[in-house]
Amino acid sequence: MIRQSFHQELMQLEQELIRMGALVEDQLRRAVRSLTERNLVLARQVIAEDDRVDAMEMDIERRCLTLLALQQPLASDLRVVSTALKIITDLERMADHASDIAKVTVRLNQEPLIKPLVDIPEMARLASSMVRLALNAYIHRSIEEAMTMIRLDDDVDHLYASVFRELLEIMRTRPDTVAQGTYLLFVANYIERVADHATNLGEWVIYMVTGQRKELND
Amino acid sequence: MVEKRLTKREGVSTILDIRVQELEVWYGPAKALENVSLHLEQGAVLALIGPSGCGKSTFLRVLNRMIDQVPTVRVKGSVHIGAFNVLDDDIDVTALRRTVGMVFQQPNPFPMTIFDNVAYGPRLAGVRSATKLRQIVEDSLKKSALWDEVRGKLRRSAMTLSGGQQQRLCMARALAVHPHVLLLDEPTASLDPVSTAKIEELIVQFKGRYTMVIVTHNLQQAARVSDLVAFFEQGHLVEMGPTHDIFTAPQERRTEEFLTGRFE
Repeated sequence: MIRQSFHQELMQLEQELIRMGALVEDQLRRAVRSLTERNLVLARQVIAEDDRVDAMEMDIERRCLTLLALQQPLASDLRVVSTALKIITDLERMADHASDIAKVTVRLNQEPLIKPLVDIPEMARLASSMVRLALNAYIHRSIEEAMTMIRLDDDVDHLYASVFRELLEIMRTRPDTVAQGTYLLFVANYIERVADHATNLGEWVIYMVTGQRKELND
Repeated sequence: MVEKRLTKREGVSTILDIRVQELEVWYGPAKALENVSLHLEQGAVLALIGPSGCGKSTFLRVLNRMIDQVPTVRVKGSVHIGAFNVLDDDIDVTALRRTVGMVFQQPNPFPMTIFDNVAYGPRLAGVRSATKLRQIVEDSLKKSALWDEVRGKLRRSAMTLSGGQQQRLCMARALAVHPHVLLLDEPTASLDPVSTAKIEELIVQFKGRYTMVIVTHNLQQAARVSDLVAFFEQGHLVEMGPTHDIFTAPQERRTEEFLTGRFE
């Protein structure tokens, strides 16, 4: 191998990206747990940790721009770097949504829930799995894993529709629940957006492997 | 005569395409090119890339029969530029080299004035009128973006010009005989970044007016100026495709390995 030091830097870039992805997945899980367990300490941790994700995004972005400017990567190397640049934006947005969910936890404080949370944690479980599967697809350069992950997005969307209907019905019949019901709708929406960003990750992994850009999120 | 045939079959200022079929070249017993076939549309820029000794310069030199200067060379196959096969025995090689101009790695102006360098080809072709020669020289120097720098110094020796200016003078000299095809053999290898940028800008501007083939070791240069890229290795054309496709997602593993430096 001729460009050994460059390819070592590429591998470091991938490691950083995987670390960022793992942190984002963790943030999402903990944010939803803070809501279901009404754990304000955990929620505040998630909100604080968002700065770490932002710093990682900046760091990876800087690494990518440096590699583009100084190494002028081509072919699969170019796709690895450009994929990293795109993926970190999606990861950073996911982390923002995790932080938003934690902020709802803080806002609701110890106010009793208008309904037991069932579908929202299930949505969150699916969305976190999607993030983890997307990262595995990235690590393994696997189109199959990316496609499997992307198919889960339909399940998230169905659950979101069902949560939406249920909360709307509760708010219609009990106007005193509108404030909390709206917050919970936000939460469901944040999770649905996380799943969409995970789908983007899958699309970028497919690009990285094949060079083909396909829109799979409809 | 090539030019007569061209005029008859293609019209005077036609841009010509290049169609190479089953081209094989030997230097003595050594095969330098093996079964190369490709088509380059008229007015397009093709960049030839590949490691040293891969056959790209050999390929370029077949196109204007410069290859004939190698005593032991044997060439098989066909190379059509427009309607005529440059490998035909009865081709007028001098006329061919007017039609297919070439610019080399080292600027090679003749040791004469700037004016005479550009007027050299037209004079050989029989242009005698001083007015007409002046017009050709001015047009050619304008096309090669050198006119503004030399307009008052046409009687000075070409050797007083900088390397980058000399290379643009060589381009003007090639353009003065109204070529249809331009061959560029690492035309910026000996130039500084500013002169390189000027040559590259000329190549981009010439698109659609001349069919061009450029040999370059600078992959970024190939990316900047070409429409198509052909990757050669050990005498084989491994892959040819649109520049964007080759540089972002080549289809052949060998191309991928070359472009990413995972090449032994």
